[in-house]
This record gives sequence, C-alpha cells and structure tokens, in this order.
Amino acid sequence: MPVKKSFQEINEKIKKGKAVVLTAEEVSAMGRDLSPAQVVEKVDVVTTATFGPMCSSGMLINTGHSDPPIRIESATLNGVPVFSGIAAVDLYIGATENHPERPDYGGAHIIEELIDGKDLELVAHAKGTDCYPRRDIRTTINRENINEMIMFNPRNAYQNYPAAVNASNRIKYTYMGSLLPRMGNANYSTSGELSPLLNDPDMRTIGLGTRIFLGGTTAYVSWHGTQYKSNAELNEHGVPVSNAATLTVMGDARNMSSEYIKAAYYEKYGVSMFVGIGIPIPVLDEEMAARLMIRNEQITTRILDYGNPDHPELGRVNYAQLMSGEIEFNGKKIRTSSLSSLYKARKIAGILKKQIEEGAFLLSEPLEAFPAGKGLNSLEIR
Amino acid sequence: MVKRVKKRLVLRFPADRVNEPITYVLIKDYDVSINILNADITHGKEGNLLIEMRGEAAKMDEALEYLKDRKVHISPVVKTILFNEKDCIHCGACASVCFPGALTMKNSNRKLKFSPDRCVACELCIKACPLQLFELNFGA
Repeated sequence: MPVKKSFQEINEKIKKGKAVVLTAEEVSAMGRDLSPAQVVEKVDVVTTATFGPMCSSGMLINTGHSDPPIRIESATLNGVPVFSGIAAVDLYIGATENHPERPDYGGAHIIEELIDGKDLELVAHAKGTDCYPRRDIRTTINRENINEMIMFNPRNAYQNYPAAVNASNRIKYTYMGSLLPRMGNANYSTSGELSPLLNDPDMRTIGLGTRIFLGGTTAYVSWHGTQYKSNAELNEHGVPVSNAATLTVMGDARNMSSEYIKAAYYEKYGVSMFVGIGIPIPVLDEEMAARLMIRNEQITTRILDYGNPDHPELGRVNYAQLMSGEIEFNGKKIRTSSLSSLYKARKIAGILKKQIEEGAFLLSEPLEAFPAGKGLNSLEIR
Repeated sequence: MVKRVKKRLVLRFPADRVNEPITYVLIKDYDVSINILNADITHGKEGNLLIEMRGEAAKMDEALEYLKDRKVHISPVVKTILFNEKDCIHCGACASVCFPGALTMKNSNRKLKFSPDRCVACELCIKACPLQLFELNFGA
C-alpha cells in the first residue's frame, strides 16, 4: 500500500513533536539513495526558502488621524513619494519608489527603517474638505505611533527566473546586476533546489491561505501573484524552464526583522527589496516526494541576452552549473553570480524546520488552489 | 636566506619610452617576476601599467633604480577597496564581475570571501553591490 498523508495527519504529528522535518536541500541529497516511496515513509515536511530582490513589494500603513483630521491627497516619507489614493490616512509604500533627488534611496529603505523603529518625516497635503479640514502635515512617524504596518507584496517568490548575460559591447546595469560586455558574466536569481515554488511546480500544496515565513515572522499567501503563469513550458523533470508561478504574500511587518527584509539599490536601475520567504511543504504522497527530491542539475533555466532590448534566448543551463561559479557557453567560460542569497535562504529553511519540529508552526491546507493553465497577456500599443 | 619582496606599483611611461621593452629588461636582467594587472599603453602617448613585481629584495631595488633611470614614473598602489563585511547578505552579485578573483563564493557555505591581496581596485564591485558595501579608499 503506498503511503498517503493528509495535512491533518501531519499537523497531529507536528503537535506531538513527532514530525520528521528536512530542508529541501537535505531531501534532495537523500533522494540520491532513496526512492520517492522511501522518502514519503521517512519524511513528513520539507522546508523551502528564498532570499532575493523582489521588486513587487510594499507596505500598507495607517498613520492614525490628526486633530483636526486630513484626507491625504499626496504624501512623502523622508522625501520618498508614497501612494495616498486610498482613504484618508492609509498609505502604501511601494518598495521601488525612488526619492526624486537620491537615486539610491527609496521605498524599500523607508520600509526597512520603519521595521527598525526609526523616525521618518511625513509630509502630506490635501485640499481640505468640510469633514477633513486640515490641508498640510509635517511630522514624524515611527512603528510605535502608527496603526497598521502590513507587508503586502503583490508578486514574490518567482518560480524560476532566466539567467542574464550581455552580448553587446557595453556594460549594462540592470535589475539582474552589472552585466559585463561580450558575455563577461552571467547572473541568475533563485535558490534552485531550495526554492519554494520549484519544489511544488504544480502548486498542489501552496495556494490561498498557505501559512509561510515572511521577513522574520509567520505570514500568509493571500492570492496568486501578479503575472502568475501556469502554462509555462516544462522540462523533462516537470519544472518550468522560465518565470512562471508567483505569490501575493501578506504579513504583520511589525513582527518582521531587517535581517530578512533588506533595501537594495541596483546601479542605474533603482531601488528594490530583498525579501526572505520560507514555505513548508507536506510530503503527502510519493508524487509529492518525487517533486521535493528535485536536484539543481534537474532544474533548467533560459539564458537571455540583456544586451539586446528584446532579451532573446541564447541557450539553456541548469542550476548546478550556475551555482558552480562558472558555466561553459559557446566554448567560452563565463563567471556566474547569484542575485539572491543562498546563505540567507538556508538560514530561513533552517529556522522554519526548527519551528515545525518544536510544534510552533502548523501547516495550512490551501483554501483554494490557484488557476491552472493560466497564460499572460502582453501590452499591445494601439 | 635571500629575502624576497612583493610590490604593487603603477608605472607611468613618458611618450618617448613606450617603444622600449622595459618589462623584458626587468625580467631578464633583474630576475623579477611580473604580473600585469592592468595596461593602458598606446604608441606615441603616455602609458600606464599596473603591475605586481616579485623578486629578491636587492635585485628589486636595482630594478627600481633602472626604472627611474629610464624616466619611468613609479607610484605605489594606494587605491584599495574597503568592504563592510558585517552588513553583507552573501548574495554574491559582486563575484562574477571580480576578474582577479578577490571576491569568491566557491565555498560550500555560500558566504562571500574577500581576499584583499588579490584585489586590483578595478572598482566594478562598487556598482555591483546592491547594498553598497564597497568603498574606494585613497589612503596609503
């Protein structure tokens, strides 16, 4: 009889402190000697993680009302514009929003400083209404004197991402880092076999309401991410060969730490934010075990030329090759860099593993699965 | 025992010296091992050479005398890169732009390793680091 486990059965084991938890790297190594049937018998939960720059991120705050109150129509925090086109004193700090005069300072820095408890200068304006008569505000806010601080990231944890090279004759500064001319280097950005959505490529266990680690605290998957794609080309191991599924995630930023949320600046591109995400995956059956045993050499990605505005595909490569520090491409050795930190991702996977082992983190079964067969529209300029 | 020394220098050649095989003489006559880290030499123009020289202390002194005699301007490399290691998140974005291999991620714990003795201060890491942890230092 093949072993099958439900979320409930696994949670019962976690509560009793009897669940066997491994990180995705540990289970990939184990998979060299054991079959999926043996893995499902031995292991209950596998922790996955990533710590990379995720531009589509931000924080929703509510500043509290002043007396007399204001209906904020435009606002800045430390000079960085924040979105105020929602009711009175709700503000959304977009991670990639830039300070108009300081290209290396922006929304992500504001978010990190709020998490760290620093004072920020709030400047806001409004036309003044009968119910909200105040027209101007200049004051300081911090994590202690505002109401909500909700991390709300519309597109995180990309399931795979292309590796970038630059075949042109000039250095390119991109969101994929500094790309040296004539394919002088290749940059990639995932944690490979440790990456959450690469371990559940069919999104069987990750969906609406999945409990996750986000930025240092327990948080949730609150929708499928923007640009969610579930009809991407798969390789022979059933893994998308390019960017595919994404997640919208939410959590209480007041409990987060700048150890796992970090502002970043990419030369000539702008501000972005490193986000730390960890997702536990239950080993429900043999099929799930087989997915979780995937190794870096079985995960393929495309090499795109960022030296050409159309980003044409030049070839394919796997993550064992990319992580070795050097790939061979068209007879040329090319040094590789990661943009996401495997060191930090391992730390997150380890923390989550410990929390589950100690019974402090239970798994949640998705309330709803994310759409299958979903493609993407592109913008036609009419 | 013979004392061996290592020096990292910028040699500036006057325009009328560019055609002379100066590095050849250094190697052949003074037994100095030379590693050219950066070269910018055009015939008829002033040239610059960033080199690392290794050799016996006495011969190295003679070699430097020879260079002075040939009107080559010698300046020690004072530009260095400072790295704020404490705040590093170990992404590794700097490693692939580092040609001399001073920044590497090849260890199994995936932590960035900075080896200042290999750094030639090309400055590419300064723009590659998303946390801006590298800084150019002009001090001695």
